[in-house]
Amino acid sequence: MAAKNSTPELILQISEVTAGYGAGLILKGVNLDVARGEIICLIGPNGAGKSTVLKTVSGLLRPRSGAVMFRGENISALTSRERLSRGVVHVPQDRSLFPAMTVWENVAMGAFILSDQALLRRRLAEVAELFPIVAKRRSASAGSLSGGEQKQVELARSLMLDPALILLDEPSIGLDPRARSSVFASISKLAEDGRTVLLVEQNARSGLAVAHRAAVLEAGVVALTGTGQELLNDPEVARLYLGASARGPAETLAKSV
Amino acid sequence: MHALIQAIILGILTGGVYALMASGQTLIFGIMKVVNLAQGALVVLGAYLTYTLFTTLGIDPFVSILITTPLLFLVGIGLQWALLRPLHGEDVAQLSLLVTFAIALAIEGALSFAYGATLTNVQPTYANYSWTVFGYQISLVRFVAFLLSIVMLGVLYFILQRTKFGRSVRATVQNPMSAQLLGVNANRVSALGFGLGAATAAAAGSVFGMLNSFNPGSHYDLISRLLTIVVLGGLGSIGGSVVAALIMGVASSLVSALASPIWSDFTFFIVLLLVLLLRPRGLFGAKTRGAL
Ligand SMILES: Nc1ncnc2c1ncn2[C@@H]1O[C@H](COP(=O)(O)OP(=O)(O)OP(=O)(O)O)[C@@H](O)[C@H]1O
Ligand SMILES: [Mg+2]
Repeated sequence: MAAKNSTPELILQISEVTAGYGAGLILKGVNLDVARGEIICLIGPNGAGKSTVLKTVSGLLRPRSGAVMFRGENISALTSRERLSRGVVHVPQDRSLFPAMTVWENVAMGAFILSDQALLRRRLAEVAELFPIVAKRRSASAGSLSGGEQKQVELARSLMLDPALILLDEPSIGLDPRARSSVFASISKLAEDGRTVLLVEQNARSGLAVAHRAAVLEAGVVALTGTGQELLNDPEVARLYLGASARGPAETLAKSV
Repeated sequence: MHALIQAIILGILTGGVYALMASGQTLIFGIMKVVNLAQGALVVLGAYLTYTLFTTLGIDPFVSILITTPLLFLVGIGLQWALLRPLHGEDVAQLSLLVTFAIALAIEGALSFAYGATLTNVQPTYANYSWTVFGYQISLVRFVAFLLSIVMLGVLYFILQRTKFGRSVRATVQNPMSAQLLGVNANRVSALGFGLGAATAAAAGSVFGMLNSFNPGSHYDLISRLLTIVVLGGLGSIGGSVVAALIMGVASSLVSALASPIWSDFTFFIVLLLVLLLRPRGLFGAKTRGAL
């Protein structure tokens, strides 16, 4: 596995990052190293700050302190667009397509920052080959697709810039088992193509199974890291799969399961 | 019957000009989620610019559109950059609404200072020329104004559907966060969008000045008509606002012909009330809302 390499090249280093919205701090000193070519899965209870971590990497949110290093460069102060052009792509948690645009237009928007039209067409063709839905439903409006189909289009769109690092926020949320396994299959394929994937997954069992390495985020800090398998076998982590956490409502949910 | 059809023709021709004003307002709403209360004042500003170009330099009002439109495009960008862009925080939408109202009042004040409060209009030599087609009167100015509005709407449609800037606008309207994540510069889109909205007001204003008498306070009446139209059109759908403008143009012209011109203004308020009570999401409902 990539993580077991003796000299892993670190593509992303998040060090002592604090961040928040308004007054309070959500991230309270997050540390996470991601090696090139690995799938790393971030799990943790609702509200732990998983999505917030991704936002500080993609530029939707600036860290208050600490650093986000991408390929050795501190990108903390860069705009989303600048990070995009360096190869960082973020597929957010909520439905992220443009519902009134066609599937084809949506995927083309993935290369918005490209001005080379020939390259754009070539990428569109490549991506359509990887994700058949893109060609099959190319003229359908994105809002008319099912959740699983939309997720395929979102993944297709995220590849348009041939990114080195893909941030995926809960890609399997709300999907039926078949759509879910097809999403996880796509994720594995991304890593085989040499891309790095930072995956946030509520569906921890599948997330950890597909990941080389994993980290647990709790209350704004990374509480635990290990290989996917190690975390799968960890009793503390097992408690987390069920949604149990320091928070009240989650606790009761765990008991009722 | 003759009077009825004559009124419908007049209503459609007038509605086309309102469609142009309303499409700009809808564009701004789509991008910024703010009802631009200055749209009426920008139309009146366009009318006064046309008036001045006509009376001092003798520039034909239709030709002056080539000057007023780019000028107000720049003014719109400037206003967004100076007054709207700096706004931050949770109540940006409410603050922006107030700012657009303040812009309207400032324009009104400046125009009152420069021109006084007397009603004026722009009267080129052909102002009263009209054709008779199958017994129906078609005023040249209204007809050309209508055609021009259709052309401007076509240009707007082309910009939104076929250009990269248009794609960035539609993306921002439909999903601002995704747009940002794909490298769209939201500030740029807002500024250019506000500029485009103001540009439609300028073009409409140039012809408005030939069709109506106006003074600096005319924007109150205009903005209430525009609000009716954009609400009827479903806030955020340009196609919807065009249809709504034509409906309102015809409705008020019919009321004016069949009842009395005095009641024609009320048509707007009655329709606004009915829409808000019966179909608050407008004629075209939630489906097209915010999609442009
Ligand atoms: N835009 C925002 N404005 C204000 N607070 C926010 C915003 N986004 C998230 N928060 C708060 O930050 C905290 C962490 O949110 P975040 O979305 O990072 O959690 P998460 O771990 O991704 O949770 P989930 O599993 O539910 O997606 C939450 O308490 C949330 O209420
Ligand atoms: Mg989240």
